[in-house]
Amino acid sequence: MTMDRRSVLGLGGVLAAGVILAPGLRLIAAPEDVTEASDKRRWGMLIDTTQCNPACTACTQACRTENNVPLTGDPERDIHWIRKVELHSKDGGKPDRSLPVLCNHCEHPPCVHVCPTQASFIRKDGIVLVDMHRCIGCRYCMIACPYKARSLVYSTPSIPGTPNRKVPMRAKGVVEKCTFCVHRIDDGGQPACVEACQKEAKGGMLFGDLNDPQSEISQRLRQVLSTTIRPDLGLKPRVHYQGI
Amino acid sequence: MLSEFSAIKGSSPGYWKLVALCALLFLVGVGSFFAIESYGHGITGMNNQVVWGMPHVFAISLLVMASGALNLGSMSTVFASIQFKQFTRFSAFLSIVLLIGGLTVLLLDLGRPDRMLLPMLYMNFRSMFTWNVFLYSGFFVLCLLYLWSMFDYKQFTKVVGSAAFAWRVILTTGTGSIFGVIHARDVFFSAITGPMFVAVSLTSGTALSTILLVGTYRKTGRYMEEKLVFGLRNALIFFTLLVGYMFVVEKFTKFYSPAFYEVETWLLVGPWAWLYWLGVWGCCVIFPLVILFHGRLGNTVQGVVAASVVTVVGVFAFVAHVLLAGQSYPFDMFPGYQLSSVFLDGASAHYVPSLVELGMGIGGIGLSALLFLLGIRFFRMLPAKAVAPEGWELPWSP
Amino acid sequence: MSSRRSLAVRMSVGLLLAMLLVLVGGFPGNLGADPPQPEKPKGGQCVRPAEWMRHNHMDFLKHNRTVAVREGKRVRSESLQKCAECHTSRERFCDRCHDYVAVEPDCFDCHIYPK
Ligand code: HEC
Ligand code: HEC
Ligand code: HEC
Repeated sequence: MTMDRRSVLGLGGVLAAGVILAPGLRLIAAPEDVTEASDKRRWGMLIDTTQCNPACTACTQACRTENNVPLTGDPERDIHWIRKVELHSKDGGKPDRSLPVLCNHCEHPPCVHVCPTQASFIRKDGIVLVDMHRCIGCRYCMIACPYKARSLVYSTPSIPGTPNRKVPMRAKGVVEKCTFCVHRIDDGGQPACVEACQKEAKGGMLFGDLNDPQSEISQRLRQVLSTTIRPDLGLKPRVHYQGI
Repeated sequence: MLSEFSAIKGSSPGYWKLVALCALLFLVGVGSFFAIESYGHGITGMNNQVVWGMPHVFAISLLVMASGALNLGSMSTVFASIQFKQFTRFSAFLSIVLLIGGLTVLLLDLGRPDRMLLPMLYMNFRSMFTWNVFLYSGFFVLCLLYLWSMFDYKQFTKVVGSAAFAWRVILTTGTGSIFGVIHARDVFFSAITGPMFVAVSLTSGTALSTILLVGTYRKTGRYMEEKLVFGLRNALIFFTLLVGYMFVVEKFTKFYSPAFYEVETWLLVGPWAWLYWLGVWGCCVIFPLVILFHGRLGNTVQGVVAASVVTVVGVFAFVAHVLLAGQSYPFDMFPGYQLSSVFLDGASAHYVPSLVELGMGIGGIGLSALLFLLGIRFFRMLPAKAVAPEGWELPWSP
Repeated sequence: MSSRRSLAVRMSVGLLLAMLLVLVGGFPGNLGADPPQPEKPKGGQCVRPAEWMRHNHMDFLKHNRTVAVREGKRVRSESLQKCAECHTSRERFCDRCHDYVAVEPDCFDCHIYPK
């Protein structure tokens, strides 16, 4: 039933705004009212670590405010969608680095493989998401992820100040992680961390469609030497690093 | 030859005190569950690096022993060890109660226990968890059928018993593979992790059966021939040697490759080394073997029971070591670099279990024990007199 | 013989009485209570006919969320956030009915909706 209505509605959006489809059901549908993830796209990120300053936390701050990720003050149970990691060369042969680590949105994500309820899944455009409505909190995904990208919500979160209404909070007992800011991507935007990096820092983070050979990220990936975290695991991560 | 099966009387105050104690333990578990459920997992010792803690150690140990408890049944039904035929009912029943205890803890530790039936609705056949859902429910059904056939349909016992035996090997391989298939974790990832769990289930299941049999017969004032206990001892020795063999093969293979020097050295001398040496090697292999091979101790029932207790402690230590050391070892995300971050990258994780977690694990044990006590009281699980069949002799003694 | 029959009779009467007790005891709050009065919404028409919504909003929302989260198809005019533009209070709209029928959807543990 709803499916029928829904397809009619999509059509309505294309035709015009304010068509009366059924008695008592009037639609005021702007064209951008309905958007759909495209399976032609593969979102990815390139992080230029040479531009990243150890003292800068623009990306992590932006993520926390955008996605309502609280800091509890308990370092062992804090939730991190994106975190800054300091790299210190063991033999001094390479320069020290500071870089953000976030969910790598792998092509073969182990978290999705192990999830018993398919709560972790790959969206059509390659983004790896947790369906909060289906997560049972078993934490197997956290065992399987080699990037420590996921956190369990250990207690009822509380946000200082006003939360961002566009992103639901998470309740205790579910596992959460970076979503590449799907809600922003679907609105045609960029992840909050990337935006913050470009506005407040040197713009070392680049986000775009890896499937589109003309996109800036695809072009840069062809030009520069880059790597991913633990390529030996064969997961084909979509967050690439330059300069390490 | 074999005497009649009969339920234990279970009218003494001692029996009811034991029942009350187990019920109390179970209630402690229930209480802990509600505490975690209302405050969140924040009140456990688990954190975002060690995400599986004591409840999982207890639950998985119980599940490993559940599979192992079927040993006596399989040895009789599949491998024709006639001296154990009288214990097949007990064996299948023990499997069932341990399974219930373990699964209950596992399910109640979920972050969202209210959604615990969702895995049934949306199955992901690539997940080891989904496989385990089938393996455990299948095992449960097979054990019930096995038990039923022994009571009422003897002609099916052989078939069902053999199926249950095959199933439990796959089952415990599946349990071990929950860890074994995880490539990200250097400590887990190995083809031999599953078989190691099977081996440990053989020892711990036999050991627990020995303890419970000797205990039940002593406490109820029934007669059990010592020879039978020594038969169990011989089986336990054999299984323990198998466990030791697996441990050696695993370490040997890992240490052969320079890629694993760092993690393996960390295991042998790092923060969890005490558990590895004392728990895994000591309790799973060395201490039991020393007792069982000892000319005097190995030939007393007390000695065999003591070795069994150590072995049961060993299974908890083994599972705890796999889980806790496996999760504590830091990821080497950028080889050649030393990492540090606010999310504790590059450092061994820290984990101290809290009381509620222990309470939950102990609740699982309480539940299994409670079911066991009630089961042997209301059903004819055990022979009134356990004697070795005529003509059966111990093949070997230390 | 008759003692057996009378036992059966007594048992059925007892059962009936018990059921009646459960019926009365189970809904003491609702028997006398008025039907719920959800707040009058602001704005024009609901996203579906009101009568249909009354009965099907839960399936509507759950279907929507599957489509939005898992398939990535967002219908912004029908999102959960949109409901709040007309039904401006959770307590005075959603909860009035839910308290009455004693359902407690956990949605608002996460979804931010004006109280
Ligand atoms: C444009 C404003 C508008 C929006 C947006 C809207 N509604 Fe409504 N809703 C109404 C109106 C008007 C009614 C009819 C009230 C009446 O008849 O008393 C109504 C009725 C309802 C009813 C039946 C209430 C009753 O008294 O029986 C439910 C349930 C409901 N809406 C749920 C929703 C949900 C869920 C959403 C979000 C997906 C939503 N509405 C979005 C305006 C809106
Ligand atoms: C006209 C009364 C009414 C109003 C107004 C109403 N609901 Fe409901 N809702 C119900 C009833 C009745 C049920 C229970 C249906 C059942 O038990 O099958 C229900 C169930 C639900 C469920 C499913 C709960 C579950 O446990 O599966 C959700 C979700 C829900 N409502 C959301 C909302 C939201 C959000 C609003 C406010 C925007 C709202 N409802 C307003 C009557 C109402
Ligand atoms: C554990 C937290 C959590 C709970 C509980 C929860 N949600 Fe959500 N919900 C989310 C998150 C996170 C999203 C993803 C938002 C996005 O992608 O923009 C979402 C998205 C949605 C969406 C699609 C986006 C939108 O705004 O329309 C709907 C519809 C929805 N949820 C309905 C529900 C309903 C109905 C319930 C209660 C039965 C519920 N949710 C319970 C976290 C939760």
